[in-house]
Amino acid sequence: MDTISDADLANFMDEALSAEEMVRIETAVRASAALRKRFDGIRQARDRGWHSAGAIWRGHHLSCPTRSQLGSFLLDALDPQWQDYIRFHTEVVACRMCLANLADLKARQEEQAPTTAERRRRVFQSSVGHIKRKK
Amino acid sequence: MASVTSDKLLIDKIRDGDAESWQQLIDRYEGRLRAFVLSRLNDRDDTEDVVQETFIGFLTSLPNFDPNRELSTYLFSIAAHKLTDHLRRQGRRPWEATTDSDTEGRPLDEMPGRARAASSIAQSGEGHAAEERALAEALGELIRQWISRGQFERLKCMELLFVRGWPNKEVAARLDITEQTVANYKHQTIGQLQKLVRSAGVGDERVLEFSSS
Repeated sequence: MDTISDADLANFMDEALSAEEMVRIETAVRASAALRKRFDGIRQARDRGWHSAGAIWRGHHLSCPTRSQLGSFLLDALDPQWQDYIRFHTEVVACRMCLANLADLKARQEEQAPTTAERRRRVFQSSVGHIKRKK
Repeated sequence: MASVTSDKLLIDKIRDGDAESWQQLIDRYEGRLRAFVLSRLNDRDDTEDVVQETFIGFLTSLPNFDPNRELSTYLFSIAAHKLTDHLRRQGRRPWEATTDSDTEGRPLDEMPGRARAASSIAQSGEGHAAEERALAEALGELIRQWISRGQFERLKCMELLFVRGWPNKEVAARLDITEQTVANYKHQTIGQLQKLVRSAGVGDERVLEFSSS
């Protein structure tokens, strides 16, 4: 869809869409004062404590497939209607968390172990000092 | 959902200061968080920085983490806020003057007392969270019903209407169904949701989709 809905502005605010969709919305918001005004309106509605069923659906991942289902999807091992739904959820709804899970699962299938292990060791070393023991 | 129990065990051990469990948690979640951030930054060094900040943010907020909530969702929400802060520093979101995260980049919704100032003026954080839980439970129940009955057309229709905010006409064209069918799904779903959440004290005027239907 070419136009940008309020739900998509909220999705953009929450970094919830695919990179392609995020860039499309970012470009449009930069170019349009009217979109920026709508963006502010959504923020204000949140600050007033309004709820959005769409934001709750997305934020609570109410229809996101499990990681195990995503793994089976990559192997084309699900029932046809689930294969179709996951394709829809990732390609049309553009769920960023599921896209990230799919990318990770693909990478794990192809990964070069030493590179990944080294990267994770760096994360570990940079963060382990922040663990606080219970008193 | 299968990993939730083992996530809880890992978190218990991390709270006891077990570094090996922390390494296991990193091994489990680093890849997906990295993919999430890299898709937006296209820079491996910056991505690594944001992911590291995410894990540090998680440890910093660990005393306030509710072990009953899903760890994956929590980590992605921290990553999204860290990423947003990073993009703001790069001038990628210059029109956003305010932030939803604290000075550590942690989402304010996760912080004690829900530090989102304007929300706390409008309504207590606890009341708002209770309403959100009621809506999430009601909507989750409907979605589970549709899936268990194989009603994927209805699921897709409502996901495009609610999550992406597409107009009825666009949804009908995408799913190759009539606009009347889209309107029926929408009308039925909103009616069912209203019925489910009214008993939890959530007024129609508090939900955007209800007031605009």
